[in-house]
Amino acid sequence: MIQKKICMLGSFAVGKTSLVRRYVESIYSDKYQTTVGVKIMKKVVQSRDKEVTLVLWDIYGEDDFQKMRWSSFNGAAGFLLVADGTRRATFAKAVELEEKVRQEVGTIPFVFVINKHDRVEEWAFDDAIEEQIAAKGWTVLRSSAKSGENVEEAFSALLRKIMA
Amino acid sequence: MNVSSLPFFVRELGYALFESKGKDQFVALTEAPAWLLDLWGPMPAPPAEINLAERSPYLENFLDEARAFWKSDGSGECRSETWVESNPAGREAPLQAIALRLQDKPVLALHSPDLVFREQVQTLQTARNALLDHERLLSEIQTKEILLHCIIHDLSQPLSVMHVALDCLSDEVMDAKHKKFVELGKNASERQESMIREVLQIFSADLRATLDAEKGAASSPNLRKSADAVITSLGPAFEAKQVRLVLTASQNADKNWLVRGEESRLRRIFSNLLENALRYSPAGSSVSIALEDDGEFCQANVDDQGPGLPPDLRPSQIFGLFSKGKQGSGKAGLGMYFCRITVERWGGSIGCASLPEKGARFWFRLPHAAAAPAEQNKHAAHELTTPATPPEIPHIEGPLRILLAEDQDEIRMLTTHQLERNGHEVVAVSNGQEALDAARASQFDVILLDEQMPIVGGVEAAHKIRRESVDATKRPYLIALTGNNTDEDHQRLRSEGFDFVLGKPFRLSALTDLFQRSTPSGQPNLPAAPATRNTEHPGGFPAMLERVGGDAKLLRQMIRTFLKDTRKRMSSLQRQIRRKNSPEVAALAHAILGSSAIFGASEASKLAKQIQALGREAAFSQAEKVYELLKEEIANLERNLRGYVGHNRLSSDSGTARKARRVAPKGSR
Repeated sequence: MIQKKICMLGSFAVGKTSLVRRYVESIYSDKYQTTVGVKIMKKVVQSRDKEVTLVLWDIYGEDDFQKMRWSSFNGAAGFLLVADGTRRATFAKAVELEEKVRQEVGTIPFVFVINKHDRVEEWAFDDAIEEQIAAKGWTVLRSSAKSGENVEEAFSALLRKIMA
Repeated sequence: MNVSSLPFFVRELGYALFESKGKDQFVALTEAPAWLLDLWGPMPAPPAEINLAERSPYLENFLDEARAFWKSDGSGECRSETWVESNPAGREAPLQAIALRLQDKPVLALHSPDLVFREQVQTLQTARNALLDHERLLSEIQTKEILLHCIIHDLSQPLSVMHVALDCLSDEVMDAKHKKFVELGKNASERQESMIREVLQIFSADLRATLDAEKGAASSPNLRKSADAVITSLGPAFEAKQVRLVLTASQNADKNWLVRGEESRLRRIFSNLLENALRYSPAGSSVSIALEDDGEFCQANVDDQGPGLPPDLRPSQIFGLFSKGKQGSGKAGLGMYFCRITVERWGGSIGCASLPEKGARFWFRLPHAAAAPAEQNKHAAHELTTPATPPEIPHIEGPLRILLAEDQDEIRMLTTHQLERNGHEVVAVSNGQEALDAARASQFDVILLDEQMPIVGGVEAAHKIRRESVDATKRPYLIALTGNNTDEDHQRLRSEGFDFVLGKPFRLSALTDLFQRSTPSGQPNLPAAPATRNTEHPGGFPAMLERVGGDAKLLRQMIRTFLKDTRKRMSSLQRQIRRKNSPEVAALAHAILGSSAIFGASEASKLAKQIQALGREAAFSQAEKVYELLKEEIANLERNLRGYVGHNRLSSDSGTARKARRVAPKGSR
């Protein structure tokens, strides 16, 4: 069986754990519970008629209190880079983390997910940020772990990139 | 201690020990503790081997690090981070692995730091919740500030125009029905003003409370450090677009770059300006930040090498609400707007211009803060308010020389109209720089400065006017016009050196009431006529000169204006009497009354007043008779005034007032 390690990466409280739980268990909770350490979940999916086990590493969000331990990325086939569309600062953090992945791990496939799209009235990602994302040529999806919007699609898009 | 008892001891401590047997295979050195059995189920007893990589994906990853450690000569241990695994029932347990050597054997210790982990989670949860609250609060404050500013300016400014326009209309002669209409309009605009004030009070109190809570100990932000912080944070975005971002190297880091304001907002201003510059910068170009300090104000310039300012927008429009170029670039038009309202609220100014060769410069200026804010305000107040007690408005019998700096065309036009109508001489300009030019070119009794104006704001202009007034006794009386109407704002403006603060929307009556204090007679609009009326111009030329503050040039200009305007007015008055046009007769008579009173022509004033009343009563044949008398009086007055001009050889066209007008023509922008 094919097994692929996928890491979740992004600032704290952007919804990495919620995206994984929505994807694996179809569960969502409004309550923010911070992740300390690493949580690993698995999901078996079909890709090009093959069964693939996704090993999802939900890594704690980097901030002043916890720094990333890059050894967790060893063996990763790709990652979901997650930002919170209602908090501009999470974009700068995403840019910084993506750069660090390239330095520490090398170039591996990723998909940029702007989460919390259900709170569009609080949306803080403006044209300036959109233009920066476009300039980078990233694959980007607006998602909502709450409503399920684009959650499946984000992981599928990443898997397609990994399997390409 | 007997090493054979070690496995028992470590198991009691909650550890499970495994000896590495190559690759991912291990043999247990201890019996499995309860937490491990709960997680993984029964473990094979020694000497049977167990593949730990198959048991735990996390361990599969960590074992690479562990093997590297065992191969090395290093002593000590290699610890994993904490990870969380679930048992088949879904119960989660935190785990940690430690690679170490025991009696030269490669050993892996596993434990479940449950208590420590829970404490760590609780601490981090509290800290991150606080961070999220802080972020939410900042975002909320910005939204409120924009809303507050919309209330103050975007609703109040048109209301100011309405007030002033209705005030002007009230002074016109009209029948009872139309007077009633004007009254209705005035009442409605007053009601609206009162509602706006209430909303404003609630918002500003709320905002002040949140700001106080957020700020804690107040401190002045450092312009240089804020620029550095934003450059660091936006660096990756600039790199991604291959645009170089530089802080001009000549800036001295040790210099005092403390400015008035608040750190997080100042960073937001830099951030908005830099993001704007990045948006228009082609790959391979540069964006630079340069800081300048003129002692009182610090200025930051953000220069890009893009296409320059959009041709469809004026610089002043770029900082407006929802302002976007036709290209549609940019957000909903709030970023630049936020920069403007914030900088202006701190007593600074902001602007932009295309650079000569290519690109654009966006700049902002903020007052220097040399000391802690509380001290600094005290210091500023002390320095700027000389003498400490605000001076009374100058005692001048007769018209005042007023410089009005107001960027809103309608308010400038209407206020000028009304002040001139009340006999004052007004030079009107549309920004702080023009006000400074005019104040340097000519002497004024009163200077009215709008707080928020382009190029140079009212506060900066007031500072400079005060500083440049060498003789404190001749310093003009400074009045701030402001839409920031809280007590705190008024107090702040007084501490910035204004003698009086007039909140917008303001009524002209408030202004004329203030000027009324200037004349002992209590008749500011029409200078007091003397008790004895044996001449048409009591006291002759010296008395008239005294009325205009001894300014011969000004008196000459007033005489010229009178000679020019009154002849036309008299002809019009005669025409309108013949046409039996009641409102026009009354209005023209009123104007003649005002202008002749300026020169103490009491008889002419009296006759004009009679015609005004007769016009209202539609008694035109009688008005025509009085007109003939008035014509004679005016002719006498004109003769005398011409005589004064000739005898006193008043200066030529290079008079100060004219000079000021040339510098800043009324209504110009």
